[in-house]
Parts: sequence; structure tokens; C-alpha cells
Amino acid sequence: MTSISFRGIRKTFGSTVALEALDLDLRPGELVSLLGPSGCGKTTALRIAAGFEIPDTGIVSLGDNDITRTPAHRRNMGMVFQSYSLFPNLTVAQNVDFGLRNRKVEKATRNSRVGEMLELVQLGELGKRYPHQLSGGQQQRVALARALAVQPEVLLLDEPLSALDAKVRSTLRDEIRRIQSELKTTTLFVTHDQDEALAISDRIGVMSNGRLEQLGTPEDVYLRPASPFVARFVGSINELPNINGAGKILVRPEDVTISANENELTMRGTITRVTFQGPVTIISVRVDITDQLVNVHAASGSIHAQVGDRVSLSVTPGRGIIEAA
Amino acid sequence: MAVMRNLLGKSGPKIVILVTSVFFLLPLLAMTRFAFQNIGVFDLSWSKAFDKWTFDIVSKPFEDQYFTDSLYLSFKIAIGTAALTLGLLIPTAIWVHLRVPKARVLIEFMTVLPYVIPAIALVAGIVVIKPHARWFLNSDLSLIPFYTVLALPFTYRAIDSGLRALELRTLVDASRNLGAGWIRTMVKVIVPNLRSAIISATFLTVAVALGEFTIANVLLKRTFPPFINEYRMREPRAGYALAVLSLLFTIFIFGLLSVALRSPSAKSHQNSTKSREMS
Repeated sequence: MTSISFRGIRKTFGSTVALEALDLDLRPGELVSLLGPSGCGKTTALRIAAGFEIPDTGIVSLGDNDITRTPAHRRNMGMVFQSYSLFPNLTVAQNVDFGLRNRKVEKATRNSRVGEMLELVQLGELGKRYPHQLSGGQQQRVALARALAVQPEVLLLDEPLSALDAKVRSTLRDEIRRIQSELKTTTLFVTHDQDEALAISDRIGVMSNGRLEQLGTPEDVYLRPASPFVARFVGSINELPNINGAGKILVRPEDVTISANENELTMRGTITRVTFQGPVTIISVRVDITDQLVNVHAASGSIHAQVGDRVSLSVTPGRGIIEAA
Repeated sequence: MAVMRNLLGKSGPKIVILVTSVFFLLPLLAMTRFAFQNIGVFDLSWSKAFDKWTFDIVSKPFEDQYFTDSLYLSFKIAIGTAALTLGLLIPTAIWVHLRVPKARVLIEFMTVLPYVIPAIALVAGIVVIKPHARWFLNSDLSLIPFYTVLALPFTYRAIDSGLRALELRTLVDASRNLGAGWIRTMVKVIVPNLRSAIISATFLTVAVALGEFTIANVLLKRTFPPFINEYRMREPRAGYALAVLSLLFTIFIFGLLSVALRSPSAKSHQNSTKSREMS
């Protein structure tokens, strides 16, 4: 288990600033996700960790070693890519063996390691197949086995699930978490999918425009967003007028309470839509004073709401953040 | 165009193929009759199309003292050209794809120039430098760099399209991430996955090198095409028989090419590209 840290990393491509003063520490054995929209710099950070890009300024350290300028093939890191990156000319077993051969590991050790890794990703029987004979999910499992076979100090995952269909994605996501916890490999996971990040991570770094907006546990990021950007990017958000002052209150749908009672801390509105979604019912209310729609999540069956009903809305105390005007 | 299409109807493409085939095959057929029918030229009428065919003439060119030497030289030059072409082209094309993708248009333009500029213009340039580079031009193998340039329009396209079909950057990154240096990445990852492109480029290079006449003739190199030309003047029938054989050999080479490209591993690569596209 090794730590990896980024200190003051800045990276530009021409006039575009991809990363601006990135500071990030991954503790040994931890899984940290970098979450953000396209172009926020998360993949650049990952590629800098892998050695595919060299930062303009700043230092990347693996444990106590400065690896900022160490070539990619001399860093002991395993990486899984978004597109299936298996070598089409090699069998599954040869793909997993590739990194071990490069490290001149003895043949007997190599063979047993390849077998172990394929068992770990539950593809023990498919060693002799070629990549084109596998499904997308199987290919990504092999890519994971290949990355882990070299016993990397850090595992880098570059949106490994985004090319897969929803069901395979969710299974493989759980699989990645299981394997990572089992091997305790320090892991940097890049994704634009908030559900993935929330489900899999020890900590999440939310990025925007080359900057780390917030680094915290999934609960922190979801329940206590550090900025309006984080609040809007992770989960759903309502924008309510701040009846106690200027600006807006950004609040999660489940932190808005709906009732028939009215007082000075509530907002009145009319229900415009009721959407049943199994365990949760989404109630859309048009607020009188701003004419904005507010979504409220209520446990199904807990409220009898009908379109056209007049209701009061209040924010759960201590929840939501205020965005200055 | 629409009127033509209506007039020709569904059989339009067949008619075009038929006319084109006649255009190409008729002279070849005439050449074959001249070479292999033991009849005087003025008697080569349709009524005697099947008379007095003999293939005895085929053995005659093989008896010529220069036949083997010129063929051997041409093969030597063809192999050298293929080696130089691949040695230069593969790293260059990979470098362009990975590092300067914007330069691809410029490189494509440059590689098409030998096709646009006739070989005789290249020869004119060679003549100018000849007094300063006799040490080089006196060698028979000096044809290799010129043939490499002549083959570029075909070979670059073959390699370029092979690289486009690969997810080159991801494969290179994956290989380097797994501890392979650049040379190992080239040898173990890129080249095996460019197999079809490399086979195509090699065969095209060999075809160019075996068939080029102008430069070899002007530089007084006795490769196979100048030999055929000179031999045809001495022995017209045997010369044309040799030309027919040489043509059949080229067709055989391209036949081999298509078989090689349909081999299981080439197929597996095509399938894998396809499956990536579909997913």
C-alpha cells in the first residue's frame, strides 16, 4: 500500500488550462474518485499520475519518491482505460501476462499469477480466448486483471465502466470495489457518473475547470457540498428564494418538507405534477413568489398529494447552502 | 447522369464492367496470342484463334544469360525497398498519429507527390545530382531510395489506414503502463496489430520495385523491366511471353496478398475492431 500525492499541479494545453494548482493526497489503500464534467481536468490528473503527461509545474509523489518526470513504463502503476485496451493479437492470458513479462518475472510465477488474476475477476476459464471473443464487460474484467497482475502501487481507472450497459456497469462497479478492498490497492478512479462515484469511493474529489472544488467522503460531498457547483453537480438540487436574506438556497429534494400548514418560514405553492417512482414519489410544486418549480422527494404513501393542491414548503434545518446573489 | 442511369437500368454496372474488361483484356489477349501462337502476325485472325498454340517459347527467356541476373537484382532491390519503406514509414506514421495528428494532411499531401510528379521528372533531378553522387548512383542498390519514394503513395495509405483502424493511443498507453518501452511496444503491440497493413504495403512496394522501368533504364541498371524491354527487341515472341509471365506473377502476388489478408489472425483483428465499433 502506497500513498500518492499531487502538489501544486498545473497543466496547460496551448492556451487551455487543464489543471490549475491541483493538490490531492491519496492515502494508502484508499479509493478516491475524481468526479466532474467533461473537460474539468480529471483525466489529465490521471494521465499525469500514469506518466503520460508531464505537468508544467508541481510535483507528483509516490510515497516519498518524486515521480513527476519518471517515464510511464518505469512507474509501477496499473491502469484500466475507458475503451477496451486489450491487445487484439494476444489471448486473454497473454494480455494478463504482458506486464509480468516486461518485468522479467519467472515463468512459473507468471503462470500462477495469471491464473490467480483471472480467478479474481471470475474469468478463469477464458485464458485462451482472444479479446474479440469476449463481451465488453469481460474485456474490462481482463483489463482489470492485467492491471492488477503487476501488483501496482497505484491502480488508475479511467472511466472503465462508461462503455458498458447499465446492468454490467453496476455489477462490475461492485466487483471493482470488492477487489480493491481485498487487495487494498491505492486507487484513483475517474468518472463523470455521480452514482458510480458515490457508490464506490472512500473519498470523492469534485472538479470543475481544472480545480478541485471539494474533496470529501461521499456523505460530505452530497450532504454538505462546499460550493454551489458541487451542490448542482452531485445529485438533484432545488433553487429556492432565500426568504431570510439575499441570494438563493440550494437544497436537495429530500430536504424539502411538504405540508398543508403555513407560517412565516414556509413558502406557498401549487402542486403541478406527482410522479410515482416506487419507493419515492416526486412532487413538483410551483412556488408562488418566484414561479419556479421545486421538486420534493417524499416516501411513497407518506403523503396524499394531488395536482392542484395548495401546499407549504419548508427546508429541513441545517440543510442546503446559500448562493450569494 | 440520371438519363444514363435510366437508359442503362439495372444492367448498367454489368455493362461498365464488361466494357472495362474488354478494354484491358483485349490488348493482353493480343499479346498472349502473339507470344504463344506459332502463326505469322498477318495470319492472327479470329478464325485461327485456337490454332497452333505452343508454350515451348516460355523456356526460351530462362536460357538468356541476363535473365537470372536481372530477376535476382530486381528481387534484391524489391526486398531492400520493402525493408526501407517499412523501416521509415511505420515509425513515422505512428509518430504522426500520436504526436502531430494535425500534420497528417501535410504528410498525406507529400506522400501523394510521387504519384503526381512523373518518374521522368524524378530522373531529371537524379541526372542533376549524378556528378556529385557517382559513388552512390553507381551501385545497383541506389535504386532502393528512389523506389521507396515512388511507392510512398500506396504504402503510406496502407499503413495509415491500418493505424486508423487501431485505437493506437490507448494501446500504446496500455503497453507503456504495463512496463514496455517504446521498442517493445512497437514490436509486441503495434506491428502485430498492423499485420494486414504491413502485408499490403510490402506487396505494393514489391510490385512497384519489380515493375519500374523509367529510372532503372535511365540509370542503366539491368533490373527485370529493362531486361524485358531489351529482350523483347532481340526476341519479340519470347519477350512478350516473358511480359505475360511477369504479369501473371504480379497477379499471383496480389492473389497471395488477398489470401494473406483473409487468414484467421487478420480476420480476428478485423472482428475485434468491428466489435469495438459496435459496443
